[in-house]
Amino acid sequence: MLQKMYDWVDERLNITPMWRDLADHEVPEHVNPAHHFSAFVYCFGGLTFFITVIQILSGMFLTMYYVPDINNAYESVKYLQNEVAFGVIVRGMHHWGASLVIVMMFLHTLRVFFTGSYKKPREMNWVVGMLIFFVMLGLGFTGYLLPWDNTAYFATKVGLEIAQTVPLIGPYAKALLTGGDIVGAQTLARFFAIHVFFLPAALLGLLGAHFIMIRRQGISGPL
Amino acid sequence: MSEKREISRRTFLNYALMGTGGFLAAGMITPMVRFAIDPMLKATGGGDKVAVGSVDDFGSEPKRVEFKLHTKDGWYESESTLVAWVRKLDDGSILALSPICKHLGCTVDWNISPDHPEQYFCQCHMGRYNIDGQNVIGTPPLKSLDMYETEIKDGKLYLGKIIPNPRPGVEM
Amino acid sequence: MAKHDKDATFVGDSRVPAKRIPNVAPSYSDFPGKSEPFWPNFLLKEWMVAAVGLVGFLVLTVSHESPLTAKANPNDTSFVPLPDWYFLFLYQLLKYPWASGDWVVLGTVIIPGIAFGALLLAPWLDAGPERRAIRRPIASGIMLLSLVGIFYLTWAAMDEHHRNHPSPAGGGSHGAAPAPAEEADPAFKAADIWTAQQSCISCHGNNMEGTAAAPNLQKVGEKYSAEEIAEIIKNGKPPLMPGGMIKDEQAIKELAEYMATLK
Repeated sequence: MLQKMYDWVDERLNITPMWRDLADHEVPEHVNPAHHFSAFVYCFGGLTFFITVIQILSGMFLTMYYVPDINNAYESVKYLQNEVAFGVIVRGMHHWGASLVIVMMFLHTLRVFFTGSYKKPREMNWVVGMLIFFVMLGLGFTGYLLPWDNTAYFATKVGLEIAQTVPLIGPYAKALLTGGDIVGAQTLARFFAIHVFFLPAALLGLLGAHFIMIRRQGISGPL
Repeated sequence: MSEKREISRRTFLNYALMGTGGFLAAGMITPMVRFAIDPMLKATGGGDKVAVGSVDDFGSEPKRVEFKLHTKDGWYESESTLVAWVRKLDDGSILALSPICKHLGCTVDWNISPDHPEQYFCQCHMGRYNIDGQNVIGTPPLKSLDMYETEIKDGKLYLGKIIPNPRPGVEM
Repeated sequence: MAKHDKDATFVGDSRVPAKRIPNVAPSYSDFPGKSEPFWPNFLLKEWMVAAVGLVGFLVLTVSHESPLTAKANPNDTSFVPLPDWYFLFLYQLLKYPWASGDWVVLGTVIIPGIAFGALLLAPWLDAGPERRAIRRPIASGIMLLSLVGIFYLTWAAMDEHHRNHPSPAGGGSHGAAPAPAEEADPAFKAADIWTAQQSCISCHGNNMEGTAAAPNLQKVGEKYSAEEIAEIIKNGKPPLMPGGMIKDEQAIKELAEYMATLK
């Protein structure tokens, strides 16, 4: 049955070449921890992606209960965490995953750096990777405000005051992020939009570019 | 000759395509960008100042005034009641202190402790400040009382945002 | 439509060639040395590791509930802010006198700008063909120094925070902050016996509405009996409320009895 469905689609769209390229590409010995245990350092990129998938899914489900509004945000987070079945787990995945993804990405970056894998011809992929890093930090900063508790509120306030000290563009950047004179209703709405739409869209584009370049160039050779 | 004309036609079409594409992009993006950056371009009022009375009402002794501050945050409008201790300094300028203790946020009062007259006193943990809001070193607070921005217009005193008090702590 | 092969046949009027490519995996002997195909051999190992990791992660989410402090209160002047841990090194940098005040541009723009700019442009700053970390000591050395700096700053920020604020309030652990003030009832009027107590109203408000420093007491009778209230008035209640503000035993008794009726 599955085979028939596959053949039916393949006849119309010729998907076999793409599928075989993905499935059969060689994983060389030097990145395979089964042969050299030290090769586990090559796993961090994959783990970063794995946790990113968790983040995207748990984030999507959190928005089913979350309301980005200063009167209700805190109550909705409290409700989804304490009253909804498995709320502790879903919010926990998103909360702890946010830290874990930073750790994994940091380790992945260090692996790429110390194995010199960013050198020609892989310069572009390094730059895209760094952009992903910045987008992730942006996601962390904007997501931190959303529960609208004291920790979130004051951390964001401090962060925005730091942004304000940048010469020339600082005050504008702060006004743009704050959406008004004070950290309040407009800030929360903005941070929600940035956290849920703008940065994830950028992240997905960059991740696509990152993976396409890896498939094109293959993984860097042994040292 | 003919080859050259063909290139120029292609070039022309390329330019036309880029132009049209640019127009499409600009037409979509311009309203959205203007929409997004509106708060940045709106004149920041710097916080409205509220009149609390005639300047002549205040002497060198601190006087407690209550005033209502109207804050507008996008579509949320709220009113909060604030308190200030106002006094005239020797040089004629006005000092308006916030009564929020810098230790843990209790409310201080002027001249209520018999042991420490002529001082701001916090009942929670015996924090003390002198008449200019300077924290008394050795009591819990580590900073001087915040003050309000002041402005005098037509003989009336207006209070604005809360700003940090630059005066250092004092030994007493 | 430059490449129209006259002999090729297509599926219907589409551009998909009619000739099927067989969907068979190559033999394992086709893979040189110890390399192996991504699917299924390598991916299976990755997913087994991921499965173990996921179980650990789910256990973490259940055992360590995500923190949620009290609802944001802009007037809470006692709250000590702390950014998320991965921003701490930047936050700590700005505390040093050479990177704050007049020099704040150094801390907010120049140092992070150089660090992140160099990271972004690493392929061009370290352009030689040598890949081994040990054979390009300058690049590796700078990276190691930066790592030491980042770890030190993060540790210093946490250490300073815990030393200055040993209570877990700002540290992110849940349930530590005082209970948020209940919504005050603006119509509520406290009796004269309350408003006569200057020391009480300076924190709890003229009509018991509460402030940033003290809770609303308009329904305190629901929580405590008269004896318990009298006890709190005499001995205080950590972390904020001091005891012994009212000396007169009779006044304490009357006030406690009045407050116990508030439900």
